[in-house]
Amino acid sequence: MKCKEMGGAGGGNDIQWCFSQVKGAVDDDVAEADIISTVEFNHSGELLATGDKGGRVVIFQQEQENKIQSHSRGEYNVYSTFQSHEPEFDYLKSLEIEEKINKIRWLPQKNAAQFLLSTNDKTIKLWKISERDKRPEGYNLKEEDGRYRDPTTVTTLRVPVFRPMDLMVEASPRRIFANAHTYHINSISINSDYETYLSADDLRINLWHLEITDRSFNIVDIKPANMEELTEVITAAEFHPNSCNTFVYSSSKGTIRLCDMRASALCDRHSKLFEEPEDPSNRSFFSEIISSISDVKFSHSGRYMMTRDYLSVKIWDLNMENRPVETYQVHEYLRSKLCSLYENDCIFDKFECCWNGSDSVVMTGSYNNFFRMFDRNTKRDITLEASRENNKPRTVLKPRKVCASGKRKKDEISVDSLDFNKKILHTAWHPKENIIAVATTNNLYIFQDKVN
Amino acid sequence: MEVQKEAQRIMTLSVWKMYHSRMQRGGLRLHRSLQLSLVMRSARELYLSAKVEAHEPEVPLPPVRSPDPRLHQSREAEAGAEAAPPDGEPTSPEPMDTREAPRAEETPARCAPRPTKVSRKRRNSSLSDGGDVGLVPSKKARLEEEEEEGASSEVPDRLQPPPAQAEGAFPNLARVLQRRFSGLLNCSPAAPPTAPPACEAKPACRPADSMLNVLVRAVVAF
Repeated sequence: MKCKEMGGAGGGNDIQWCFSQVKGAVDDDVAEADIISTVEFNHSGELLATGDKGGRVVIFQQEQENKIQSHSRGEYNVYSTFQSHEPEFDYLKSLEIEEKINKIRWLPQKNAAQFLLSTNDKTIKLWKISERDKRPEGYNLKEEDGRYRDPTTVTTLRVPVFRPMDLMVEASPRRIFANAHTYHINSISINSDYETYLSADDLRINLWHLEITDRSFNIVDIKPANMEELTEVITAAEFHPNSCNTFVYSSSKGTIRLCDMRASALCDRHSKLFEEPEDPSNRSFFSEIISSISDVKFSHSGRYMMTRDYLSVKIWDLNMENRPVETYQVHEYLRSKLCSLYENDCIFDKFECCWNGSDSVVMTGSYNNFFRMFDRNTKRDITLEASRENNKPRTVLKPRKVCASGKRKKDEISVDSLDFNKKILHTAWHPKENIIAVATTNNLYIFQDKVN
Repeated sequence: MEVQKEAQRIMTLSVWKMYHSRMQRGGLRLHRSLQLSLVMRSARELYLSAKVEAHEPEVPLPPVRSPDPRLHQSREAEAGAEAAPPDGEPTSPEPMDTREAPRAEETPARCAPRPTKVSRKRRNSSLSDGGDVGLVPSKKARLEEEEEEGASSEVPDRLQPPPAQAEGAFPNLARVLQRRFSGLLNCSPAAPPTAPPACEAKPACRPADSMLNVLVRAVVAF
């Protein structure tokens, strides 16, 4: 099989991607707690949140654009770090509950503070991130350090005033949504009404109100009466970006169900079922497990949705259920290696995918710290690498090529020399600009398009 | 033979993965367990169909099927056996990448609900030459005893240590899980698996088979 010709710069209007920043430890020895488990831009793109296996959330803020230095957009610097979840123990089941942050979702900004939802396997938390840049000074009864004054020494009265102080960013948990999931939470999604959100585990989806923590509504339940009859689980769920009554959930069997909450309280019966018949020529021993969908994302327009399974990315038109409108092969050269990937557990890796702001390009990760972009208009694709070797800011990234078999050309990498420990599972695209955040195991890379 | 060995290797690997997944933080993951059991089922079917192919000339397939509650359990064996004979394809040197479209397509079709009429037990015993009974669950106690000697000799070494550990660590769990044949491994979820009373009465766990069942049914316990 000949090596496929890759597109040129690819990625929409032939933009060239440049290295901008990398965050995280340089060590090769990765501490498990530092493994990044989720990446998410907020609605304006000014803030970028990451969650890790140690239960921490780190938020980066983009600097305001420096008009003088117009060659690049603002850099992202640490804005806030806090411990979102701690390890817990379920005494009833004798199970430890991991503190790993599975998902972060931002709420749209309503006031000066920012709000986000973060979740581990069992508990969702609403965090308020607020800035404090003033503090009151001149209390009558307290010293500046907080100690109480002896009342007899108070001879005058004054009104305390606010004085500027160094900026402090505080994160405080405002709501804790707990005890609603028997199985492991894989998704959270905020409704377009900005009042409710859903959380999905392997078998159930619950609907919450952001203000109410002591109850939630179960809207999907696929648990069979007899667990021995279980054949599929829910792998991801998301609300439609515009219709507050519509959501989708994907399954381990490669199907996506669209549900309308107006139809019934329990949306066990889907309104639409998206499923592509299997290509018999591709059927193999591991077909069933590689068809499992690891991520589902609506386009910003709400007209399309994208799904990621082990080897491909598919774009579905919500009006057409019987097959996707576009299919992009991420790393088809792995199809003949599925047995080895089963042995080293890589076949279970859950890759995510994302849209750019205009829904014209989609991106997803792969192995060897490669990530792929597919331009839906030009049908060109590009493979790039997140590596510290391309460390200089504004270095244009060189497209990569993987040679499946046959004669390996110069600069191509053969499949057998790919590093399967270096995987990019989480990527995010700025909602408005060509800035992307790509997470390797423990580092966060930020790339932007070349600005002249 | 290659195919058989490869299938058995995959099965053993799957069993180990499932066992180890219990140890990880956060507990058993339902999705992962399901995927492992799917692979195990496919490996099992492949193994059995390869076995049948290898033994086909010697094995007379019984024409008559009589309803027998004991036979509900061995659906896979029967399906695999039935699917294999019509499939005359030679297996390729890369067994795991082998297209098994004919087999696979037939198995789902044959796995359509047929609760009463299958003579799986007969097929099982005709299949077994002591080699693979560890992989095909059977509920008849007497039959087990006969086959156990055969099974234990054939079971790969790697499979031997875990049962002791597994049963030692979760003795009650093993017994509970042993009671039913997992619907997870059934092709069709529509057919309700009836638990034959015979198996309820059987408390003992056979080493090789129990390991497979215990771990396969870890999902149920979860």
